[in-house]
Amino acid sequence: MNKPSMQQAILVYALLGIALIVFLTPIYLIASSSVKPSPIMFQRPPAMLFEPTFEHYRDLFTMRPFGKFIMNSLMVALGSTAFSVFFGSIAAYAISRIKHKRMNDIAFWILSMRMFPPIAVVVPYYIIFKTAGLLDTPLALIIVYSTANIPLTVWLMKGFFDEVPRALEEAAAVDGHGLISIFWRVTLPLAAPGLAVSAVFCFIFSWNEFLFALMLTGSEAQTATVAVMSFWSSDAVQWGRIMAGSFVILIPGVVFVLTCQRWLVRGLTMGSVK
Amino acid sequence: MSAITLRSVVKRYGSVEVVHGIDLDVEEGEFVVLLGPSGCGKTTTLRMVAGLEDVSDGELSIAGRRVNEVAPKDRGVAMVFQNYALYPHMSVRQNMEFALRPLGLDAAEVDRRIQEAAGILGLGELLARKPAQLSGGQRQRVAMGRAMVRTPDVFLFDEPLSNLDAKLRTQVRLEIGKLHNRLGTTVLYVTHDQVEAMTLADKIVVMQNGHIEQVGTPEQVYAHPNNMFVASFIGSPSMNMIPARHEGGRLRAEGLDLAVPSRFEGKLPEGQDVVIGIRPTGLQRAEPGAADAVVARVEVTEFLGNEALLDIRVGDHELIAEIPAAGRPAPGDEVSLTFDPSVIHLFDPQTGATLSR
Ligand SMILES: Nc1ncnc2c1ncn2[C@@H]1O[C@H](COP(=O)(O)OP(=O)(O)OP(=O)(O)O)[C@@H](O)[C@H]1O
Ligand SMILES: [Mg+2]
Repeated sequence: MNKPSMQQAILVYALLGIALIVFLTPIYLIASSSVKPSPIMFQRPPAMLFEPTFEHYRDLFTMRPFGKFIMNSLMVALGSTAFSVFFGSIAAYAISRIKHKRMNDIAFWILSMRMFPPIAVVVPYYIIFKTAGLLDTPLALIIVYSTANIPLTVWLMKGFFDEVPRALEEAAAVDGHGLISIFWRVTLPLAAPGLAVSAVFCFIFSWNEFLFALMLTGSEAQTATVAVMSFWSSDAVQWGRIMAGSFVILIPGVVFVLTCQRWLVRGLTMGSVK
Repeated sequence: MSAITLRSVVKRYGSVEVVHGIDLDVEEGEFVVLLGPSGCGKTTTLRMVAGLEDVSDGELSIAGRRVNEVAPKDRGVAMVFQNYALYPHMSVRQNMEFALRPLGLDAAEVDRRIQEAAGILGLGELLARKPAQLSGGQRQRVAMGRAMVRTPDVFLFDEPLSNLDAKLRTQVRLEIGKLHNRLGTTVLYVTHDQVEAMTLADKIVVMQNGHIEQVGTPEQVYAHPNNMFVASFIGSPSMNMIPARHEGGRLRAEGLDLAVPSRFEGKLPEGQDVVIGIRPTGLQRAEPGAADAVVARVEVTEFLGNEALLDIRVGDHELIAEIPAAGRPAPGDEVSLTFDPSVIHLFDPQTGATLSR
């Protein structure tokens, strides 16, 4: 790459700065509002200097079992991510390697499942899970999220598997390894960035999802996103608690992405840095 | 018992046949080179032996056992790929360990074999490195090490030197030769470089268009080519080919009139069309008064050190002669040359087959 000139550098940093402001402002508002005493919450201009209070956080965990809802969210998101990445990768490997003239059609059919408008399937899902006795269980959400996450994983991972040179698998085959060993020890490690990208997308989708979580869970399996909205009732909107809840919800996503970051950066830029 | 046997082996991709029923025996401990121009089916044949391509027809055996339906992992072969195919996420040591894993050896034996291979190939310093941190030549040696540690029945090589520069190629070629002498393992080796083939092979298999044209020792394919293809493919510069006609015990072409070499006497019908083949080294400056001397005009001379190549014109044929460089003629000179009758080849112009036997 050429060394960027001074002007280019300034331009790049200016754009980055704007992007940062755009993305970080809401987070700043959430964070600052979550520690603002209720009386000054809507002061104009916004109060910049105030004695921070943790009463909203205290209320969040004492007035409602918010810890449990976080655990529900974690269980659902991690469960769906693990399930989707596992089965999605296997399916993607088959699609990437098996030569068949209808393979592209199959791949497109799988992707098309992702294109359902969610609202159209909410009621059928509700009836199915009611019949199966799975309403208000984490399993119901894991299943629903996986139907959206598996197609995404299949498409992402197919791209990554396509990039793994066949010669490496052939070398492993001649070296005496069978299909599973080759997949597990050669192909999959080389597609690790793809796993990270898929996992991040699956996790964030499942963690943030609201509609299905609202419709398919009650008090038991409720997720954090739905729980936060329950502070918005007909008589009052408890902004402090909503903000505190929102801030807590941010944390696992950030931790998860940072954990995957090592592979993620390579994954998202793959192809461009070869 | 042969190490590898091919009987009427055919390879088809869809309806396109690329290997046409070839027969080949590779004996135990032999170094056999598949040699031929690009696209002749060498790699395809090697990959069928490795089990990476299905055999469409015919029978393939390794160590006396039919292996058409046997998976690559159960064939007891090891392969060195053209681009080496080292596992990029594993260190040199792990690459070798990975190849040993299916054998289920204990840790001490694994370590012993890796140390031994590293010793032979000079990889000791490199064991902890990843392939990306190695030079081309080092990668090549790691690929050989990975094949070696498994102590296979058969080594398969697909153009293992083609990614190396000329100097390294010579050096690694020697190492492969030494390695074979030392291990005595059967080798099937693909190349389109005839120098590699000549220097390494016990037996050369010359292929063209999915057919085997000739199987023989390097001396046999060089000195007794079966046909015009082998004759012109082997040897550098190529054998000179001159269409001629047998008339009254003489071979006649424009600007050329030679006695039929005694080997062919009585074998050639009068009036038969032939192609005379003679290597550049078979053309030498004529002693004064020599019989059948041919007068030729020198167009270009190429100085090679000890020898010089003369591009000469005889009648309307352009030929190449390789003569001692000392006292070589200059371009534009006329020289008088003799054809060494003991190395004259005659071919049938229709079939290309040799008339020498
Ligand atoms: N997967 C394939 N599908 C169709 N045709 C193929 C396939 N692989 C190889 N071929 C054809 O088979 C023929 C032999 O190919 P092969 O790779 O064996 O040649 P080669 O002798 O190894 O040549 P090179 O010296 O260039 O490596 C070629 O004409 C090639 O186009
Ligand atoms: Mg080839």
